[in-house]
Amino acid sequence: MARKFSIKRLPGFTMIAMFAFFVLYLPIATLVVYAFNDGMSIAIWEGVSLRWFESAWNNSQVIEASIRSLQIAAFAAVIATVAATMAALATTRSANYRGRTFKYAFINMPLLVPEIVTAVALLILFARIKVWTGYSGLGYLIVAHSAFCIPFAYLPIRARLESMDLSLERAAADLYATPFKAFRYVTLPLLWPGILAGFMLAFVISLDDVVITEFVKSGGQDTLPTYMLGQLRRVVTPEMNAISTAFLVLSLAIVTIFFFLSRSNEKST
Amino acid sequence: MNWHPAKTGTFPETGEQMKQHLAGSAHGGAIAMLGVVKEFGHFRAVDDVTLKIEPNEFFTLLGPSGCGKTTLLRMIAGFEMPTNGRLLLDESDISGLLPNQRPINTVFQNYALFPHMSVAENIGFGLKMLGKPKAEVDRTVGEMLSLVRLNGRGNNPVTQLSGGQQQRVALARALAPRPKVLLLDEPLSALDLKLRKSMQIELKRLQAETGITFVFVTHDQEEALTMSDRIAVMSEGKVRQVGSPWDIYDHPAERFVADFIGETNFLEADVVSLGGGLARVRLSSGSEIAATFPSDFLPQGKVTVVVRPEHAQVVPRGDSTAALKGTIKDIVYLGTDTHFHIHLDDGTLFIVRQQNAKSGPCGFAKGEAVGIGVNDDVAQILRD
Amino acid sequence: MTLSAAEAGQARQKKDIRDRWLLSAPALLLIFFAGVGPLLIVVVYSFLAPGNYGDVKWEFSTEGWFNVLFSRDIFDDTISLADAHFTIFWRSIKLALATTILCLIFGFPTAYFIATRPANNRSLWLFLITIPFWTNMLIRTFAIQEVIRSEGIINSALIKLGIIAAPIQMMFTDFAILLGMTYVFLPLMVLPLYASLEKLDFRLVEAAYDLYASRFNVLMRVIVPIVKPGLIAGSILVFIPALSSYVVPRVLGGGKNLMIGNLIELQFGQGRNWPLGAALSVTLVIIVLFAMLYYVRNAEKSGGGHG
Repeated sequence: MARKFSIKRLPGFTMIAMFAFFVLYLPIATLVVYAFNDGMSIAIWEGVSLRWFESAWNNSQVIEASIRSLQIAAFAAVIATVAATMAALATTRSANYRGRTFKYAFINMPLLVPEIVTAVALLILFARIKVWTGYSGLGYLIVAHSAFCIPFAYLPIRARLESMDLSLERAAADLYATPFKAFRYVTLPLLWPGILAGFMLAFVISLDDVVITEFVKSGGQDTLPTYMLGQLRRVVTPEMNAISTAFLVLSLAIVTIFFFLSRSNEKST
Repeated sequence: MNWHPAKTGTFPETGEQMKQHLAGSAHGGAIAMLGVVKEFGHFRAVDDVTLKIEPNEFFTLLGPSGCGKTTLLRMIAGFEMPTNGRLLLDESDISGLLPNQRPINTVFQNYALFPHMSVAENIGFGLKMLGKPKAEVDRTVGEMLSLVRLNGRGNNPVTQLSGGQQQRVALARALAPRPKVLLLDEPLSALDLKLRKSMQIELKRLQAETGITFVFVTHDQEEALTMSDRIAVMSEGKVRQVGSPWDIYDHPAERFVADFIGETNFLEADVVSLGGGLARVRLSSGSEIAATFPSDFLPQGKVTVVVRPEHAQVVPRGDSTAALKGTIKDIVYLGTDTHFHIHLDDGTLFIVRQQNAKSGPCGFAKGEAVGIGVNDDVAQILRD
Repeated sequence: MTLSAAEAGQARQKKDIRDRWLLSAPALLLIFFAGVGPLLIVVVYSFLAPGNYGDVKWEFSTEGWFNVLFSRDIFDDTISLADAHFTIFWRSIKLALATTILCLIFGFPTAYFIATRPANNRSLWLFLITIPFWTNMLIRTFAIQEVIRSEGIINSALIKLGIIAAPIQMMFTDFAILLGMTYVFLPLMVLPLYASLEKLDFRLVEAAYDLYASRFNVLMRVIVPIVKPGLIAGSILVFIPALSSYVVPRVLGGGKNLMIGNLIELQFGQGRNWPLGAALSVTLVIIVLFAMLYYVRNAEKSGGGHG
């Protein structure tokens, strides 16, 4: 047997990697498959059916929570993306100035603070504000989500700006573009994929949040994840699998778009 | 020239006056720098530069990297503000103006073509920003495409062009608004040798055809010597010498200039007498030769004299023309030339470059004691 | 007039910096209001007395901090170490460390595998790692639950194969939490490791082989030291969320196997001891800060990313 020598090969690594991929996908695959189970159980296969999707669709709690999740994610992602884009413009493409490192660290701070701590902190703060103002709408959730989505939106936008050739904006200025026109015709079109990627990241992050939402929400403000968390305490029917599968498909669609956007990001710079 | 410098901190619109000014013929284009200083923190990138660039001139800023030439160029473009000093374009002060308010365009080192626009959109960008009607933009873009020989390529995306083609798009884009001055920041450095040679000729042609003042930045002395009307040699933020290529090469005023451009032999000498714009100096060997010297300098006592290798010949030691004497340490055959590395009797190294006019060996051998003949009026006394 | 350029330049710079502050203001304010600022309130709350029905009484008290470490007997006021808290802290740290190690063991080869794929299908493998990463964590935890439940596919399969007679109890154990956290956080290890490995210059590996290094030596003395920043970044990215994990232990650990996150929640819920919960939160943040400090010290120059 001819031994093939490759300098990149390390024995066992490919096997472990394959095992890791297998283990990563096995539970998800099982979950999806049993969503189509005709039976009551998530252990015994009784044939293919869409009944659990139907039952989820007819479950008004699920639909309400889903709509709420999407509403919050949409608002939070827009707010976070706008704020992050502005902040990214303010923290790149210049010599280091006083305060830039601080801004950078501060914007990334929500990534470092344990979610559970942010959650109780917001619980305390919003409890007070609710008493003072009497307002108890979705605003609290939107504000909270916007804040922790900013660093996620900021990442790809900043990366895009940093990889962008500074001389392009200079060239625009050299060719008689006012700062606004240079932004409008050169910076923004080139930054656009980064902004979209940031928006989608923020959207998914908001959609996925459990912990902060669980603490901040008022009564009757369940999002899909907090609804599911509540249900997991009870006896679980394949309806949960059906909901999860639908959720998965949505996330997958967003991630796929994100993936292709970031690839075109790499190519065009 | 009655468009005014920007008031401090404000943001004047690209004025109607300037548009007309730009639309006019490309007369003018004289740049004057008066005591320009640029500091980055404690570092003086440009140190008190006073320079005049004539209209319709091909002017080159030449120097090693870090000498301040690019910073100077960026100040003319408006990307940097001078820490001190004034910048005049045709006698009006432009030092307070933003880049988009100056009728000056730049060809960037990496071209800085807008990747999301086609060739034509890139070339037309400046005119569009000036608010020119679409018909005029299209017409000018067409003219520019043929000027840089890219006819029919207007709709190509710029990302699919070769390096040489991108270079020409960058040129066309900078020329399209008919600036008074075109700045070129090492535009040929990314091209291979052959392309570079042909672009050098192309640039000269464009400059002649458009009558625009070109300010060219390079660290390549050969490029500077071939293309320029005048060259300013810079080092450590200062302009060391300004002059025609011939001037700079044959009559370097300072050690730095002599050393940076071409190969040179440095010799210690004593000034014997002055007269007729020449000095007679005595070399260490005891022979006397005539030497030129910088016009703003009166040589006396001990001086340094430079002699270019090709301005000397190896001669038999006893020859009457032998101004210097030494021993051949090495003979390097280079096809067109032969280089003789000669140890002078006082220990310094002297290089002689001789053209190989005849085929066959040069007639001298390694280790041979020889004399060196120095042509008349080719030696130059340095200022320092 | 001679100084106009210099003045204009300075004024422009000042305006630029002011504009930059204005531009970043919305993000900074939002994060201050709903991200970082409220932490200060938590610190204040940790020094107040607990209210009767949750919330706090506005009087200074160190009881909350005292309760982190000690417990006072309800009947005779004797003081003893708070065993339950120590157990939970210790479990959290132990599980977080074990999770980090497991993620390293599986993550490093996986990242290496992806980084050594031909460039054209490398991004596909990367994509496969990213999908679980962006899949809702709750769903992934639920998926793990489905696999390890008594009626889950592992137990069913083992029973069918006749290896075991009765299902193995895996749910509601530390093992379940460990498995769940490793599963959930593995992509966080793979991504920064991949970023380091991708930049690895394999000519260095060639040079090492050329100089008689064995495969093991190549791995340990060339590859690992070079990608160390990625290793540290990945470890921190796994360790911090694992330590403060809330969802995984809540779902897979049941009511008994708590971690710090659940302990904190308990104080704000059933425990009705907000100052203690606040003090526990601050403690958790301090531990995380130390971990971060370690990371910054070790990876100052690497520019390792987040998230």
